[in-house]
Amino acid sequence: MSGQALWFISRATGVVSIVLLTLVVCLGMVTAGRRRPHGESATVVMGLHRWLSLGMLVFLGTHIVTAIADGYVSIGWLSVLVPFTSGYETLLVGLGTLGVDLLVVLLVTSYLRHRIPEHRWRLIHWLSYAMWLVALGHGFFMGTSDQPVLRVVSIACAVVGGLMVSWRVIASHSDGERRREIDAQEWT
Amino acid sequence: MPDSSEGVRIAVDRVLCTGHGVCAQTLPGAIVLDEWGYPVIRSEVVDPEAATLAVKLCPARALYRR
Amino acid sequence: MNGIVELLEAAGLTGRGGAAFSTAIKVKAAHENGAELIVNACDGEIGAAKDAWIVEHRLPELIEGASLVARGRRPKVRYAAHRGSRTAALLHSAGLHVLEAPHRYVSSEETSLIQLAHGGPAKPMTKRAPFVFGGRDSQGHRVRPTVVLNAETLLRVSQINRHGATWFRSFGTELEPGPRLVAISGHIARPGVHEVAAGMSIADILALAGGLPEDARHVGVGGLGGVLLTAQDARTTIWTGGGMKRHGGSLGPGIFTVWDPSECPVETAIQLLSYGAGESAGQCGPCMFGLPALAGDWAAYGRTPSTDRYQRLQLRLDLLQRRGACAHPDGVSRFARSALATLRPEFAAHANHSCQKGGLRHARLV
Repeated sequence: MSGQALWFISRATGVVSIVLLTLVVCLGMVTAGRRRPHGESATVVMGLHRWLSLGMLVFLGTHIVTAIADGYVSIGWLSVLVPFTSGYETLLVGLGTLGVDLLVVLLVTSYLRHRIPEHRWRLIHWLSYAMWLVALGHGFFMGTSDQPVLRVVSIACAVVGGLMVSWRVIASHSDGERRREIDAQEWT
Repeated sequence: MPDSSEGVRIAVDRVLCTGHGVCAQTLPGAIVLDEWGYPVIRSEVVDPEAATLAVKLCPARALYRR
Repeated sequence: MNGIVELLEAAGLTGRGGAAFSTAIKVKAAHENGAELIVNACDGEIGAAKDAWIVEHRLPELIEGASLVARGRRPKVRYAAHRGSRTAALLHSAGLHVLEAPHRYVSSEETSLIQLAHGGPAKPMTKRAPFVFGGRDSQGHRVRPTVVLNAETLLRVSQINRHGATWFRSFGTELEPGPRLVAISGHIARPGVHEVAAGMSIADILALAGGLPEDARHVGVGGLGGVLLTAQDARTTIWTGGGMKRHGGSLGPGIFTVWDPSECPVETAIQLLSYGAGESAGQCGPCMFGLPALAGDWAAYGRTPSTDRYQRLQLRLDLLQRRGACAHPDGVSRFARSALATLRPEFAAHANHSCQKGGLRHARLV
């Protein structure tokens, strides 16, 4: 396959990856921020959140492999996991690598959730926001001006994700309110 | 250890449970939800395969096997 | 070395904090796991007073009992009491290690004290297995092997060690042996703490405090987590597990409260249920939402009885059994169910607007 074709595939799969990642993170926020009681979709949302995160790996894997294999730019295999070791666009590719590192930690801890203390799983899962931001940064700044669609997609993902985060932070519901109200009382 | 024809016991960690309601969908009939979305266990003993999936899918890690 | 466990087994001592679990089993597990001991001297239940009495009048025996349970080269014993209480002050001045609990109803519960002792809030924990073996809280933090015993239980441990199992069994009944402390309060001549035993009639128990007054109408047994008897039932009931079970209750933690006959008992019950609702630790949905709903529906029924409201109440009561991390919702619903049955005449009076009593928020319906 020609270098140019590989490069094209890399960018295409990169775009799909960031879209899927944004979707996965949003689905996680839907679960976490849910009003109770609610409709029948809780399981569907949870299932999609889990399985899309795995499905995304196919696109992400292709994105990484084709970017390294195309030979057009020098990104070594080390850069898959060790950030800021790429000759090409050290910082920006490094962000992508950082995102992959965080994703690996997230996936492994989630797969092993029932074998690790819950507080540790929760702390690490909060890192998913950092991972998403890092991936967005990577995607946005790597998109060049001659292909605006890459930047537009990144911005769209940022906006959608940003709106979800706002909802998560601002929206209140009686369940959470009652919990917070009681938690603020004297308990020690 | 009960064999698969007998079923396994499930329970809810009520402190972790925040009423997502996934268990009522993954273990229909065995668990129903009250008006605030919290589980009512109608049957403690369920099919092992269903239990495994239900335990895995609980977002709060509140469902567990006894 | 295990003489005390065998002695306790022979004596048949059970926990005096209300749950009545076999003390021999608990102490054996405590020894085997090198468990830390928390002495529960909180008097957490409404109307309780015997823990304070023990700390005031029997402290050396209590300490000795504790030493029989917490063994090892550096045994760890903490005495739990509510912050600012007289009990806490007495424990402090005796130079004991005091675990100060906040003034919350559920904070004196066994797992609440264990969590507090581990630096967390005094809120109940999910008990997948007894914490005497050590375990983890819901978030996965380790909990060291810890056992919690009521102050009176430890008093009895030291007495059994000193006087033997036969002495202990010379009190009470075969099923519920041993002397028991009870706190008697309310509309009675001489409220206070007295030593009795299972098998005595409630009338004889109350006689120690001056006797059930002629004008008394209701007696609470076991506080907010217990049951409400009519004075008539109180006069004819024997204080045993079986005798109390007929009224939906148990021996409980030894609390008798004679209700003031000049106050509307429906209103008193409403107050108690509201208190119970406000004391939820806010961890479990069925409790933090179910108890306020129960209090609200009970009040609505109490003030304007109807079949509809009664049925709704029954549904609510059923949804409060074993759906929380601790037994708080179970206790409150037990009391609510009991009061619902006991106060039928008063509900009828409310239904035809003939309740004459003053009450805190009693309103005559027009």
